[in-house]
Amino acid sequence: MGTVQAPQHEYLDVDALVDDYHERGWTDGLPIVAPTPEKVERFLAVAGLRGDEVLGHVPTREVTVTAEQVAINAVMAGCRAEYLPTVIAAVRAHLHEKANCHSTTGTLSGAFQMVIVNGPARAALGVACEGACFGPGFRANATIGRALRLVIRNACRAIPGFLDRASFSTPARYSMCFGEDEEGSGATWRPMHVERGFAATDSTVTVQSVMVVVPATDFTARTPEAVCDTLVATIRSKGTSGDAFLEGAGEVVVVIGPEHRRFFLEAGWSKDDIRANLHPRITALDGPGRPVKFPDTEPERLLLVAAGGPGMGESWVFIPHLSRAITEPIRTAVTTSP
Amino acid sequence: MIVGLDPTSGSLDKLPDKGAAPRPKTLDGTVIAFIANGLGRGADLMDALYAELSRDTTFAGSIKVVKNSVSIPPEPQDWERILAEATVAVTGFGG
Repeated sequence: MGTVQAPQHEYLDVDALVDDYHERGWTDGLPIVAPTPEKVERFLAVAGLRGDEVLGHVPTREVTVTAEQVAINAVMAGCRAEYLPTVIAAVRAHLHEKANCHSTTGTLSGAFQMVIVNGPARAALGVACEGACFGPGFRANATIGRALRLVIRNACRAIPGFLDRASFSTPARYSMCFGEDEEGSGATWRPMHVERGFAATDSTVTVQSVMVVVPATDFTARTPEAVCDTLVATIRSKGTSGDAFLEGAGEVVVVIGPEHRRFFLEAGWSKDDIRANLHPRITALDGPGRPVKFPDTEPERLLLVAAGGPGMGESWVFIPHLSRAITEPIRTAVTTSP
Repeated sequence: MIVGLDPTSGSLDKLPDKGAAPRPKTLDGTVIAFIANGLGRGADLMDALYAELSRDTTFAGSIKVVKNSVSIPPEPQDWERILAEATVAVTGFGG
């Protein structure tokens, strides 16, 4: 105890603290949990981290992000202590050079950061992956995503009117976190983190900055090919630009809902089978709409994720901003706080 | 009494005030650099701006840099050339 380095401020009560944090521009406009030294130290202890551990940098902003800063913001976001390793992994991912923090958080387009949790941590922390998983009502989803955004605001200085230059921004910048429904994906679908080189027993966070979200709605498709047709049309309705820094377009994330997923699973299609169908069609230079500028040899830039609840013939397409999707392991064992 | 920790990486009030670069009294005789970020028709905008400025100005030269990617700084050799040769620089982008 007594190891925190951040400047300390004294208040008469919690209400005064919350009001002052709002006044200083340290919140997203919603109420926060008071980041007391005791609470922040407990979070760091649960994660097994030193407060001065450097998680990454934003060179263009002359910013260095430490574990203590992340713990403070995770407390403020309403996280439980055991969420901190997941938040830490999300911050590491977002601060990867190719995740392009400066561009994706300063952009006029108001891109948001999508956090996807895979592996045992998802169930252990209660990260929702089924019905309504993109929306409110789930503490882990809401606060892990919010914690990353508060770090982006407070540590990375993406403040509206300052380094956040969004014309409109988006409510997804409050929080966007969900898990992959690995249990609902059948034996033929490998979880996303396994496709990206991790063991099924690993827990990971994947972060991608998203500029456009397009639902791929089709109630009449009854075959894998027909679902793919809808996905191709939806993806090509937006397309992506190429970018030399990213060596092509960053990852497009397709979250496949259960009413579409079952047609693939019943027909024995793996995720690779879906990519084999989609990749040449979404990257073709001719045809309707705009192509996706993936390198020809990298169909794995199409990330396929199982999530969502039953009843709606729908999948969702997330078109990236200028970033690669980065997957980071959740490094500390997940424990349950009392 | 309750104590709260500062969640930022440093006060924005304490950021160094780098201020605006000094402006020359005239562009005549200067070498002007144009740095386009590659978005939209930013490079065309720079060409048009140079043409417009040239109506009233006799430049000693010009340098045009179109970045390889919208999201990263110019290449080191471009920086070196701008710093070594340019008197003034205009940056811009297109969406």
